Amino acid sequence: MTRLETSPYATVMDDGQLTGHPIVLAGKGPYGGDLEVDEPLVTGGKTWAEVDRDICMHTEQFPTKRWWMAFAVAATALAIGTFAMLMLFYSGMGILGINRPVGWGSFIINFVFWIGIGHAGTLISAVLYLFRQQWRTGINRAAEAMTLFAVACAGIFPIIHLGRPWFAYWLVPYPNARGPLWVNFNSPLAWDIFAISTYGLVSLAFWYIGLLPDLATVRDRATHPWRKKIYNAMSFGWTGSHRAWRHYESAYMILAAFATPLVFSVHTIVSFDFATSILPGWHTTIFPPYFVIGAIFSGFAMVITLMTFMRGYFGLTNYITTNHMEAMAKILMLTGLLVGFAYSTEFFMAWYSGSEWEGFVFKNRAFGPYGWAYAIMFTCNAIVPQIFWWKKMRRHAWVLFVVSILVNVGMWFERYVIVVTSLHRDFLPSSWGMYALTRWDYMILLGSFGLFFTLFLLFVRVLPVIAISEVKGVMDPKVARSAPTDAAPAAGTRR
Amino acid sequence: MMPTSTKGILGHFCGPDEALAAAAKVRDAGWKHFDFLTPFPIHGMEEAMGQKRSWIPYVTALLALGGILFAQGLQNYVMVFDWPMNFGGKPHASWPAFIPITFEAMVFWAALGTALVAIIAGKKDTVPQPPPMVIETGATVDRFVVWISATDPKWNPDEALAFLKSIGAQGVRLVDAEGGAHA
Repeated sequence: MTRLETSPYATVMDDGQLTGHPIVLAGKGPYGGDLEVDEPLVTGGKTWAEVDRDICMHTEQFPTKRWWMAFAVAATALAIGTFAMLMLFYSGMGILGINRPVGWGSFIINFVFWIGIGHAGTLISAVLYLFRQQWRTGINRAAEAMTLFAVACAGIFPIIHLGRPWFAYWLVPYPNARGPLWVNFNSPLAWDIFAISTYGLVSLAFWYIGLLPDLATVRDRATHPWRKKIYNAMSFGWTGSHRAWRHYESAYMILAAFATPLVFSVHTIVSFDFATSILPGWHTTIFPPYFVIGAIFSGFAMVITLMTFMRGYFGLTNYITTNHMEAMAKILMLTGLLVGFAYSTEFFMAWYSGSEWEGFVFKNRAFGPYGWAYAIMFTCNAIVPQIFWWKKMRRHAWVLFVVSILVNVGMWFERYVIVVTSLHRDFLPSSWGMYALTRWDYMILLGSFGLFFTLFLLFVRVLPVIAISEVKGVMDPKVARSAPTDAAPAAGTRR
Repeated sequence: MMPTSTKGILGHFCGPDEALAAAAKVRDAGWKHFDFLTPFPIHGMEEAMGQKRSWIPYVTALLALGGILFAQGLQNYVMVFDWPMNFGGKPHASWPAFIPITFEAMVFWAALGTALVAIIAGKKDTVPQPPPMVIETGATVDRFVVWISATDPKWNPDEALAFLKSIGAQGVRLVDAEGGAHA
């Protein structure tokens, strides 16, 4: 660690030197006391020009063998899922595991799972932006992209669950020749259409507005005239003008302010799909906050999974540092505690309400035929993240990675438990049933992961995976500036 | 020799603090059609450049109101007038059930409209920008470029050149329409 003479704050550290504790400058405080300074967000003493190179580089060279291998796996999974989906359209819903009484099966589970994953991106970009959490700059771009792809995966499931997906446009209220026959605006299923499509499009707008300056950076590094033209058009001819930055910053703040309640509203409305029914196990007022927290929990787990790959594979450890990973681990632990609290509250209320049916559903959930699913859910979501009470574990890449995978598994099973265990024991024992996924269910689930990773792998090839202009803004100018020179760079040269 | 098609003058600084100080000097010297092209937004630049606050929030407020009115209008029209139906004896205008869609429509209109208007405003509500050929000024990398357009009321190439050099700008050069530079 070296500290420049010119400024007590200007600090150059390597990723390995980060401790996660503030740097204490003895006697430097305003009244002669100690001054605590945060560790730098970007390590390795990078300059602004190096940031451009490190991040844009990956869009400027041919993909590596490892990328092709990952892409082949993802695309194969997508192809399998597409095949299963076509078979579903051809043969009908009978090839799936759903039955009476379990009329909602893997599609609704997958829908809630993916839309939950889609919550972390906008939480990171909007909520952490409003809270001035500057570490978000390293991860927000990739997390927002992840959000968009997760919402795309989620959006497929309710549509294929319709049975006749070619009539999906009937869900949209528009003057039509069938009456006009409108959707029922009192139904949470109609609210869902508005919530999901608004979330998807607003997330897209937020992500794209954030991309504009970085697309201009890629353009200015481009050597091929076509590449230059395409990125110029995509950035709407961004020049970095401060007269444009003024509107841009205002718009970005407003988008963050609107996206913040939107994040909370989307999963709230998804939870209404369950909570407004009169089924024991679903009909509870805890569902909206419980779903929102679960969504943030699973979303952060997926961000940690992806960031572990990304920072290692692209050599971005200077931008997504151990401190960033630790911050995410803290959020994972906090939300894990809240999710565990919600699980316990449900049980307490089942007993305290005095409702026989509610009590039976929860006993059946934990100790009935699907007790194994409940055990997976509770272990992965409420117990495993407790390891993050230890700082060493929060800063250990492998521990983080394994926990994030386990949380993803646990959160899928949470939705499995909610959907299946509330349905499979109907009110009359003669109507009881069991549910199991068929091979087609599994193939379509695999296909959704294929779609998600295919899109993500394409994203990392063509767009800057880190918000360059935002990262530059949180770097110390004394370290990052270029050497003064009188030379004007010639047009079209890479610097 | 001075080119007749001069579009303006460029110079650059290497740090945000210098750019901020320079912006105040350019403003105080009475230039109007000037701009700073920077790799990231600089805090306090609006004041230093003598700009007012962005008017985007007012547009957002109108759009949000539009979204609310649209959603309320649609839902009440459909559920009360066009196709009233009896759902368990509940009132047709069951306003609490209309809140989620009203909220989503407000966010939808306001957010997407704001994004669109911000992109347009960035192109229109500005001064003439440097010709596209000189986009590569380093302004998206690590330079803080000052630009004075030839459309400025007090434009005088010699004066502009001397002025930018006096405030410490580096690489000062006049630029013509083809993007050629003239020191």
